[in-house]
Amino acid sequence: MTISLGYFLRESAINFRRNWVMTLGAVITIFLSLLLVGVSVATGYVVTEIVKDVERKVEVQIFLKDGFAEEDMIELQQFLSSDPLVASVDYTSKEEALAKFKEQMKESPEIIEQMEGNPLPASLDVKLVDARQVEVVVAKIKSNPTFPRVADKPDNPEESLKYAKQIVNRLFALTRVVRIVEIVFIAMLAIVSLIFINNTIRLAIYARRKEIGIMRLVGASNWFIRTPFLLEGVFQALIGATLAILTIVGLERAIMPKLREVLSFLDLSLGGTVMVQISLILIGSGILIGLMGSGFALRRYLKV
Amino acid sequence: MPYMISMRGVDKFYAGEKPALVDVNVEIEQGEFVFLVGHSGSGKSTFIKLLLREILPTRGTIVVAGQDLMRLKSWKVPYLRRNIGCVFQDFKLLPNKTSYENVAFALEVIGRSRHVIRTQVPEVLRLVGLEDKMDSYPDELSGGEQQRVSIARAFVNRPPLLLADEPTGNLDPQTSLGIMSLLSRINKTGTTVLVATHDREMVDSMRRRVIALENGKVIRDQDRGVYGYDD
Repeated sequence: MTISLGYFLRESAINFRRNWVMTLGAVITIFLSLLLVGVSVATGYVVTEIVKDVERKVEVQIFLKDGFAEEDMIELQQFLSSDPLVASVDYTSKEEALAKFKEQMKESPEIIEQMEGNPLPASLDVKLVDARQVEVVVAKIKSNPTFPRVADKPDNPEESLKYAKQIVNRLFALTRVVRIVEIVFIAMLAIVSLIFINNTIRLAIYARRKEIGIMRLVGASNWFIRTPFLLEGVFQALIGATLAILTIVGLERAIMPKLREVLSFLDLSLGGTVMVQISLILIGSGILIGLMGSGFALRRYLKV
Repeated sequence: MPYMISMRGVDKFYAGEKPALVDVNVEIEQGEFVFLVGHSGSGKSTFIKLLLREILPTRGTIVVAGQDLMRLKSWKVPYLRRNIGCVFQDFKLLPNKTSYENVAFALEVIGRSRHVIRTQVPEVLRLVGLEDKMDSYPDELSGGEQQRVSIARAFVNRPPLLLADEPTGNLDPQTSLGIMSLLSRINKTGTTVLVATHDREMVDSMRRRVIALENGKVIRDQDRGVYGYDD
């Protein structure tokens, strides 16, 4: 088998040189489609992280009027705590709210100076199990009979509720659309690269039709005849995949630090394991594209 | 003696054409030297293609080198062909390879080791009388020399059967004689040789078994025969 391996590599290299324009086309289209796959996996990962983070932070705040009845507040708190959609309900007193506010505003002390007394209401802070259920929980709060009695604005209790309306739902809808667009692009590029590989292999078969005829004549096995062509497609795909991986590593180095800076409140990182995963996915799909492209060509143009 | 080639009741029809072969019954024993003669269109090429299992007969059974071609799985066909050496009118040499490389190529692609190649290729080139032209390219060789390279390539793997399709078709009578005596020498090593030809002088001078085809039918099969057509 040692001479066979040398033979296969030599034959593939010769074809690379012979049809370098076609080969370049194949490599570039594979590179682009795999780059898109890699970028979409990476962004998918980052977006999932962001969504998770936002979900953790989504909460419903119920502002309470001054001098509310303690037992009403506790009743509401217990009602919500027992709900399976609710993760936790924490009470924040007026004093705690003021302390928190001062902490947030410490860079503009003039605002704090202008405040008279404590205008901030106490609140119940409701954390959710699933951020997408925020509207359901809000509806439950509104329909609770105790709620208007403790609400900060009893005339219009709804204004006593603060929550991030449907941000999460929109984020999910957006990522879905982006995903679909990506898949369409990747599919198109994959088809173009299949066509390119198919053509390079067809030319390679044509250029070597005499050798192939003699190989058949002297009894070279079918796989011996096919393998150099299959390998050639796989080589093209692997070069494309390597370029794509290098580009993605470069992009990660260039973009992620800035992204972390801008979104410092989020815990963002594309760890080494994610990059390894992406690399494996790209190499795997590269080999698949290469085998498919040359497989089609062999089926159509090489009768053994 | 077991048969090297056995054809029984073989018909071959191509769609929309007159029958290529009709009810052919031929048996060739191991070690025989046989001429297959006939005009162009008489079915010689079809006969050779059937033996190489490039095509299957419409009806009948063919056994070559112990393999029943009707039952032979297509992935095993290459292994059948390793038992059949082939020589053609147009030599089929690779122009960018030397004599040595052309012969070595045949061993390389069936996975023979470097060692086997290095010993067998010079040996077979000596056998065909080209020991001085191992490093020549086909365009530096005469027609007869090129045909010798192609015979060396067909024989280097020591196949039990050698098929030659018009091996002297492109050569002058003098050179043809040399090629024929080479094939005859190969036959003496025990290899069965089947030569398809319409070279009347050659057939008449050699006095070997002759199978004559006309319109796809075997019209004559005689030992020590002659070409026998009136053309």
